[in-house]
Amino acid sequence: MTSVARARHSEDVVVRDEIVRHRLASRAIHWTVALFFFIALFSGLPIWTPVFGWMAHFFGGLTVCRWLHPWAGLIFFASMAVMFVHWLDDMRLKPSDREWLRPRKIAAYMRHEDVLAEEGKYNGGQKLFFFATALGAIGLLLSGVVLWFPLTFPQLVRELATLLHDVTFILFVVAIVFHIYLGTAAEPGTFDSMVRGTVSKRWARFHHSRWYREVMGEEPRRP
Amino acid sequence: MSGPLLQIRRSSASLWGSGNDTRRRPVVAKYIDTTTCIGCKACEVACQEWNDLKPVPTQQTGTYQTMPELHAQFWNLIRFNEKETEQGFAWLMRKDQCMHCEDPGCLAACPAPGAIVQYENGIVDVNPAACIGCGYCLTGCPFNVPKFQSTGGKMAKCTLCVDRVGVGLEPACIKACPTGCLQFGTKDDMVARGHSRVEQLKAGGFVNALLYDPPGVGGTGVVTVLAHGDHPEWYGLPADPHVPLSVRFAKSVLRPLGVLAMVGAVLGAFAHFMHQGPKVPPEGE
Repeated sequence: MTSVARARHSEDVVVRDEIVRHRLASRAIHWTVALFFFIALFSGLPIWTPVFGWMAHFFGGLTVCRWLHPWAGLIFFASMAVMFVHWLDDMRLKPSDREWLRPRKIAAYMRHEDVLAEEGKYNGGQKLFFFATALGAIGLLLSGVVLWFPLTFPQLVRELATLLHDVTFILFVVAIVFHIYLGTAAEPGTFDSMVRGTVSKRWARFHHSRWYREVMGEEPRRP
Repeated sequence: MSGPLLQIRRSSASLWGSGNDTRRRPVVAKYIDTTTCIGCKACEVACQEWNDLKPVPTQQTGTYQTMPELHAQFWNLIRFNEKETEQGFAWLMRKDQCMHCEDPGCLAACPAPGAIVQYENGIVDVNPAACIGCGYCLTGCPFNVPKFQSTGGKMAKCTLCVDRVGVGLEPACIKACPTGCLQFGTKDDMVARGHSRVEQLKAGGFVNALLYDPPGVGGTGVVTVLAHGDHPEWYGLPADPHVPLSVRFAKSVLRPLGVLAMVGAVLGAFAHFMHQGPKVPPEGE
């Protein structure tokens, strides 16, 4: 059985010199979230500022964007919720993940000074990103519903929603830029794990050594 | 929209304003004297007729008011309030409509290019073809004027009869007013007229009389004489209207900063990649 075929159903298993990191269901939910994120992003940006007004043409104009954006956002949130439940078990925070709140840790990570990182399946940074985006999705949903139906909400609520949607969105996009960068160019092999589902043993040992040992049966699995 | 008759001074969602400075028309204004309004509602009818608006069912509100609020098909509403004042019981009637602010909050909040425009003569107008029905103008307006069509949600409001004014006529409501409490002309003339009326009222015992032309929105294209100027809220007017700070802050601070942050994040990622390169296991591992 090839690794790709195995990755349709199983996760955290060794197939010859590869390890299945994301089974098909995990990848499908991730790309569903990504698809509706980008639809919502590109239909929302031309409404957000005229600097991105040209993007409206890809959807058939600003009126289409005004209709499409909230629906895409709603589906984005729904798929985020599914993804949250799907991955929550792997994302449980451990005391050692607190390290990632310290700038020194993040700096060392960015400077590639943390070789053979002693990390489980997901490192603290990934977990923080997971929970931050979940929180961001809630903020975008709550403020977005107010902006969707302006006649239903009082003035003060609409004003606060405008600010909340703006701030959450800016932070969200900045986080996504780094997420995409780290998942592609910055760490070769990572993008493959979200496409084919597999990583090389070398990749696993380098980026998530504890997860590697657990998968290889060298030590018992911990949450 | 009157087409080429009037040039545009300002347009919604345009980065550098718009229009040009080659021509300068006098700013026009509507004068409303609430003290001589008899509440006949001729202006309501004239507005419906000239703008060819559909009939809207009236609502009994317990007063002589036609309906509780302005409506997408009803742009001119005589508000009726009863008040016990120092001068005795009073019927306070005020013609409610778009105020045509010098600094329009609706235009500031609008995300659709050209959906809300301000002409060179100060009239604030909506272009339904460009309006996307998002309702942001409602958040920007301190007078609760924008109303929305039941299908498509496009905003509709008083145009100050821009199609009449553009060809040298006065607005329909002015034309219909039987008491002369509605007047139309240049802003300067209407303000002067308002001040002289206020002086008359003060001499007549209404010491708090005031010409309502709120500076918070740069003044309005509708100036209103109020006998009880210390209580504009009696007439359904805000005491000190402003374009909401949240709208201003989002438009002129948050969004430019947000664009910078996004571009900065992308450039930062590029710079990091050029400096560090990809993170790969050391040779021999």
